[in-house]
Amino acid sequence: MTALVILLSFVVGLLTVLVAGLLRSHAEVLRALHDLGVSLDPDDRDLDDADAGQSTTLDLRTRPGVAAPRASTTGPVDIVGVTADGGPAKIGVVGTEGLTLLAFLSSGCLTCAGFWEAFADPSQRYVEGLEAELVIVAKGPEMESEASIRALAPKGVRTVMSSDAWLDYEVPVSPYFIMIDSAAGRVVGEGAAATWEQVANLLRQAVADAGLRAEGKSERAARSRGTGRSGPERMADTDEELQRAGIEPGDPSLYPGAGAE
Amino acid sequence: MSHHLAAHGVSLDLPKGWDAEFSGAAPPNSEVAVRERSLSTQSVDDFERPFQPLVVHAGNFRLPADRGDFGSGAVEAMGAGGVLVCLLEYDQASASTELFRRNRLPQALGVNDVQPNTLQRTISGQAGTQIFFAENGRAFCLYVVIGSHRRRAVLVPLANEVISSISIEA
Repeated sequence: MTALVILLSFVVGLLTVLVAGLLRSHAEVLRALHDLGVSLDPDDRDLDDADAGQSTTLDLRTRPGVAAPRASTTGPVDIVGVTADGGPAKIGVVGTEGLTLLAFLSSGCLTCAGFWEAFADPSQRYVEGLEAELVIVAKGPEMESEASIRALAPKGVRTVMSSDAWLDYEVPVSPYFIMIDSAAGRVVGEGAAATWEQVANLLRQAVADAGLRAEGKSERAARSRGTGRSGPERMADTDEELQRAGIEPGDPSLYPGAGAE
Repeated sequence: MSHHLAAHGVSLDLPKGWDAEFSGAAPPNSEVAVRERSLSTQSVDDFERPFQPLVVHAGNFRLPADRGDFGSGAVEAMGAGGVLVCLLEYDQASASTELFRRNRLPQALGVNDVQPNTLQRTISGQAGTQIFFAENGRAFCLYVVIGSHRRRAVLVPLANEVISSISIEA
């Protein structure tokens, strides 16, 4: 009997230690989530959300210095705004060729300063092995100093001021980079970075993940000239052009020597 | 979906994927551009204030940041399927000169209006046209370049889509 009581006491003690350990572990997990900005406590829920009757969503926040991801992955849209000189400008992002790298920068943020400075050097605008066209997008004149952007805008890089673009792309923070496969009309990579080297790594990774092949200048030029296409592709183009010009198969003008015989 | 751009009394509509930029060819108070672009016999000093010519560039490809008024810098980057439309304003005094006797911007170009020998900068395969005109008392030059003369039947209509949307106010 005594042995049984001792055994039961030992088991109860052991279970007590296990439960205490589990509770402590649970508390640490909750604390860690809370530090990350995730609260599972109903009392902490945003009153606005509760009033609106919205479904519960976790309010993700990141640690200071770490950019939050975009709330959703919006598709690419053309950018319409003004230049730093005030002239209207539009950047065709969708339906054009190649890759477009949108750099969302502001004149005030310290991290952006490094990018403005870096982009002044032409060698810092390109990622080895990638033919991405850099376009800098600042907020519109109603939110940014035109004089500051004019002073910062690197020569040789299209710089457009467009608050609409920041809204359209749901840019969460500056600096923020979005790379677009313009021909396919899709975002292939995005993120925030503190240095150009980080951006370059991000882009290489994104291109690899997207299955895009890095294309050299000579290849792109050849494709642009049409010399890189296959025979059937060239024939299809030629047929299309002829038909648009009103020349159908069998048209006498296609056989200039036939009439002389 | 097209985008409408307007400034300084000039507006146009751009199809999806087109690039465009309105700019002055010279920064404020620059007299160099005035001297180069003025077709009148007036000296620069005769102007009460420096004339700042309007330059509009529109292309169906990514326009480079550094471009000349007549598209130098852009035409080199243009592929065989490229179309570049340039609209350049001259000082108003030029509007009454013989060069600008044509009244109003043409609404459309003919397929054979573009020729390889009318380019400001000759590039093999490309073709273009240059039309001086006056509208509402303002003097302009419309300069159009296409990437391939052989494909003009396809490319000129693309240019016409933009040209026909251009509106010029006094």
